[in-house]
Amino acid sequence: MRLTRIRIEQLKQFRQPLEIADLDPGLNLFTGANEAGKSTIVAAIRAAFFERHRSAGVDDLRPWGDASASPSIELDFSIAGQAYRLRKRFLGKKRCELQAGTLHLDGAEAEDHLAALLGFQHAGRGASRAEHWGIPGLLWIQQGGAQDIREPVGHATDHLRTALNASLGEVASSSGDEVLNKVEALRNELLTTATHKPRGPYQQALEQADSLENAVQELDREIAAYRDRVDRLAALRDAHAVDEAEQPWAVFRQQEQAAATRLEDVRQIEAVLLSDRQRAGQLEAQIELLRGQLDVFSSEEKAVHTRRAGLEHAQQACQAQDALVDQWQAKAREASDRYHAARDSLRLARQEATRRDLVRQRDEWQRKLESSTDALAKAGAQQAALIDLQRQLAESAIDLRDLDALREQHGRMRELRIRRDAIATRLRFALAEGGHIEIGQESVTGSGDRLLTEPTRVNLPGLGQLDITPGGTDLVELGRQEQALADAHATLLQRLGLADLAAAEARHQNHARYQAEARAAAATLMALAPQGIDALHAEQAVHAARLRETGQALASLPAAPESATALPAVSQAEAAEESARQSLEQINQQLNQARLAAGNVQAVREAAARELAAARAVLNAPARATRLSAANQALVDARADQASLATRIEALARQVAEASPELLRQDVERFRRSAGLLERQHAERRDLLMRLEVELQTTGARGMEERRAELARDLEQAHRRADELQRRARALDYLINLLRDKRAILTRRLHAPLQRHLSRYLRLLFPHASLEIDANLSPGPLTRPGAAGPETGSFEELSFGAREQMGVISRLAYADLLKEAGRPTLVILDDALVHSDATRLAQMKRLLFDAASRHQILVFTCRPADWRDLGVGARSLEALRVMTATD
Amino acid sequence: MIRLLHTADWQIGKCYGQFEADEAALLAEARFTSIEKLAILARDRHVDLVLVAGDVFDTQGVADRTIHRLFHAMRGYAGPWVMIPGNHDAGLAESVWTRAVRLQAMPANVHVCLKPEPLLLTALGAAILPAPLTQRHTHADLTAWFDGAETPAGMVRIGLAHGCVQGILAADIDSANPIAAGRAEQAGLDYLALGDWHGTRQVDARTWYSGTPETDRFRANDSGQALWVELSGPGAPAVVTPVATGQYRWLSLGFALRVASDIDQALADLEALGPADVVRLSWTGQTDLAGYLRLRESCARIQGRVRSLQADFSALRLEPSDADIDALHADGYLGEVIAELRDGQRPDRSDAEGARDALAILAGILHERRKGRAS
Repeated sequence: MRLTRIRIEQLKQFRQPLEIADLDPGLNLFTGANEAGKSTIVAAIRAAFFERHRSAGVDDLRPWGDASASPSIELDFSIAGQAYRLRKRFLGKKRCELQAGTLHLDGAEAEDHLAALLGFQHAGRGASRAEHWGIPGLLWIQQGGAQDIREPVGHATDHLRTALNASLGEVASSSGDEVLNKVEALRNELLTTATHKPRGPYQQALEQADSLENAVQELDREIAAYRDRVDRLAALRDAHAVDEAEQPWAVFRQQEQAAATRLEDVRQIEAVLLSDRQRAGQLEAQIELLRGQLDVFSSEEKAVHTRRAGLEHAQQACQAQDALVDQWQAKAREASDRYHAARDSLRLARQEATRRDLVRQRDEWQRKLESSTDALAKAGAQQAALIDLQRQLAESAIDLRDLDALREQHGRMRELRIRRDAIATRLRFALAEGGHIEIGQESVTGSGDRLLTEPTRVNLPGLGQLDITPGGTDLVELGRQEQALADAHATLLQRLGLADLAAAEARHQNHARYQAEARAAAATLMALAPQGIDALHAEQAVHAARLRETGQALASLPAAPESATALPAVSQAEAAEESARQSLEQINQQLNQARLAAGNVQAVREAAARELAAARAVLNAPARATRLSAANQALVDARADQASLATRIEALARQVAEASPELLRQDVERFRRSAGLLERQHAERRDLLMRLEVELQTTGARGMEERRAELARDLEQAHRRADELQRRARALDYLINLLRDKRAILTRRLHAPLQRHLSRYLRLLFPHASLEIDANLSPGPLTRPGAAGPETGSFEELSFGAREQMGVISRLAYADLLKEAGRPTLVILDDALVHSDATRLAQMKRLLFDAASRHQILVFTCRPADWRDLGVGARSLEALRVMTATD
Repeated sequence: MIRLLHTADWQIGKCYGQFEADEAALLAEARFTSIEKLAILARDRHVDLVLVAGDVFDTQGVADRTIHRLFHAMRGYAGPWVMIPGNHDAGLAESVWTRAVRLQAMPANVHVCLKPEPLLLTALGAAILPAPLTQRHTHADLTAWFDGAETPAGMVRIGLAHGCVQGILAADIDSANPIAAGRAEQAGLDYLALGDWHGTRQVDARTWYSGTPETDRFRANDSGQALWVELSGPGAPAVVTPVATGQYRWLSLGFALRVASDIDQALADLEALGPADVVRLSWTGQTDLAGYLRLRESCARIQGRVRSLQADFSALRLEPSDADIDALHADGYLGEVIAELRDGQRPDRSDAEGARDALAILAGILHERRKGRAS
């Protein structure tokens, strides 16, 4: 589509006509300040196409304050080489004409023709709204609307699709999506969307089938149990009837009775046997008693013999013991003598040992006394010497400070003298032979010299006298100093009582020597008497006293025996004495034991004698012989009874053993138990039968099997329904997948060209980016290379500027698509891209320039400077107005 | 002359799981109705005796109410009813019969033979030799004792048994409870009334299965009848006439569709169906979508007319035609989907059934849409 001329009159701010002619087939740039009328031109173009000329909803086209105006628009354009002229007038004089070659259309017919041609719709009534604008609504970007792409695309989707289908030569489904939605809805009634789990009626059917299944199984179990019990009832009834007829316990009862009778017979025999055995036991006891009596008699006789032998034995023991006592008495006497002798010998040995000891002590004390006397004498002499030295030491003492003062004074006087001599007037003389002079008081001859330190009168005999005064005051001062020093020196010496410094030095050296000597003398004294002289005196006195005591002790000792030398040593004597003492003690003990034993033996002998007498007395008792013979006779009788009784007992016992009463008793018990068991079983079974009957009656009344049949019927229905629904769900799934697949294939085929166009623009704006197109042909997520790999964001997440740019390039892509499909395209940008930075804007201008080679593009801007490099001349609205006015 | 009504296999308490709940309830109810009909029939025809040859109840464990209802349904005929237990209601130690006695539900004119001993109806001059089942299944011939059974001379000997006559019936019937072939002959019976086989069947001159009075399955032929038996005296031939007692006709129909006109023919056939019909219908062959939709609509319509209609379309292959696709406005990829589904129905495809069902659903949706737009 190519717009060649626009003429506007009585429309908004253009009360006067405005004509824009010779529009370029490519880019057209219109500039103008705000309010200059750019948007009005756009609005006029839109109104010319979108609004019905009869519409009452276009009041806004009227110039302000001009109620009678008839806004009119005249457009010249060509589509596919066919030139069109559209004249449209609103409100006052409503009119619409479309001229295309020979074709001339009026009114709504013209408008509908245009709508079909460009791909939009008219509003049913009132002003046209966005949803009617279709393709122009997409390509004609309104002020501030470039970034808004989704809605315009939505409104144009059908037209785009048609265009795409036409271009592909394919027929897309007109109702496919509707069918797909319907199928999905049907499927979603049965299965959850996310997990494809049964839901709604399907789930209910499954749950119902499940619960019925459980109920049927439960009933089946109960029915099986019921049937088992019915069978059991029949079996029990049969068994019970058989028992009733046969009464098997009766036989056992009879057998029990027979066994009991036999047992009773055996019991009686057992009783007789028992009494016989008791009698035999009594006889046994009697025999035992008699034997005891006879034993007593014989033991009495044995006792007399035994006692007699015991007495004799005791007497022998007494004699032996007495002999032993005599032997021990003799030995004791000997031992006592030996002991006394050893004791005397020990006493003498000890006395002589004491004596030897005292003599040795006395000699020792004597030696010590001499030694201490000698030490005392030496120490006294040394002490006297020390006292003398200490006196000398005191006399030779000199204060070291005084000595140092003397030394210093002496040094300074020598120095002063040297200095005086150095400055003194030297008077040298050489006198003729025999001549003499008097220098001062001195008379000199010959030659020589003198140092004059003070005014001196030289008397030249015969010649008068010379008064020589040495030059300078120093000499005088030195002389005075020397004099003062000499006075001080003399005073000090005087105080010390010394002649001169040499004497002082000598005294000092003497003092040092005395000191050394005194120290040596004190050390010597210390060695001789460490504790002092008095200690030495005391020691000497002690020694003398001990010597005296020892002498007295010696004197008091008895005289030594004559055989003193033959005496044994003390230790030897002590050992001999101890040995003798022990020997004596042992022998005395043995003696005592022997005496004790002798006493015991004597007591035994006396007891034995008494016992023998007693035993003899028993034997000699009267009537003893009578009792003995009676006991013997009784024993013989009892033995005879015992033998006959034993025979009888044996016979009875054999009878009992043969009858085996224990087995008989067991038989009774066995038969009794067997019969009882059978009787009890019978009774129990009767009870069981009754119980079972009642139970079955109760259970049977519940009509379980009919109930089960009903449940099974319901279960079958539930299963059938679940199966149907499952099959339906599966078929729906199948259908959905197939529909989606086919739709996806178609969508991809439809999208391919749009994608291609979009990619071409996108490359320039966002290198390496890719943009997806969604099902509605809207721009989808944009994928760009980022710092950490590709980043994908939805269109809405882009910045406003980027969205605006994307909006424009998308529209250019749609325009390319439509162009390929042979559809008319016209792109209008009303103040678009105002949010783009310089770089992006430059790219956008390249894009627009490129797109203008395929489409006519009208660009309106209030910023001419930004668009100066678009490559086309700008038309200023202000200029256009003036031009139209002058025309 | 003795006139009796021979019936069996009432199967009271039977449920029909293969039907929808309301239909199943009506079919179960019909079993009681058939007993009422029998009673009225017996009364109106002045029969001397009604013989019920076993399986009176479908199970032992029917509800007390059911027992009461049955005997109540029988009250229309006051003459003697002689019954034996069958395999479904065997005379066990504890059974539906002992319960019926305990409940005092049985009128005095009902004789249940629980023991194999002759029942002498002296006034009638008839001796009934029953072979009641006292176990659920037995492999002994319970009618064996008929041969040696003594009955008073001059009395008509009538056998009453439930089981499978050997060597005559198909093996898939309950093959337990055997009855020797030629029992009537051997035992000198004038008539042997049998139960167990749900269709009416004559075994020999004097031996008949009456069949169930109310049909309860699609495969039982000749059911829904009772037998009207006339015995003029001992040794005289039995004159047996089937009498219809059933309420519902059970039909199992199948139509194979090959060409479009087959549908017209089939639908014309189905027009004959009425409210007494219980129908199982299976479609095979192939049809286009228009035909399929027509069949469905027709079936829905027929369902309103008959007692029950179960139509099985699963074996019917859908072959959409170009006309279908045009008619359904299945343009664009929908057309491709339909084509794919058509191919997907081929038996060698993995999910032919799914494809068929999917195609049916899609056709339904498109059809609804078209109708919606048209209206």
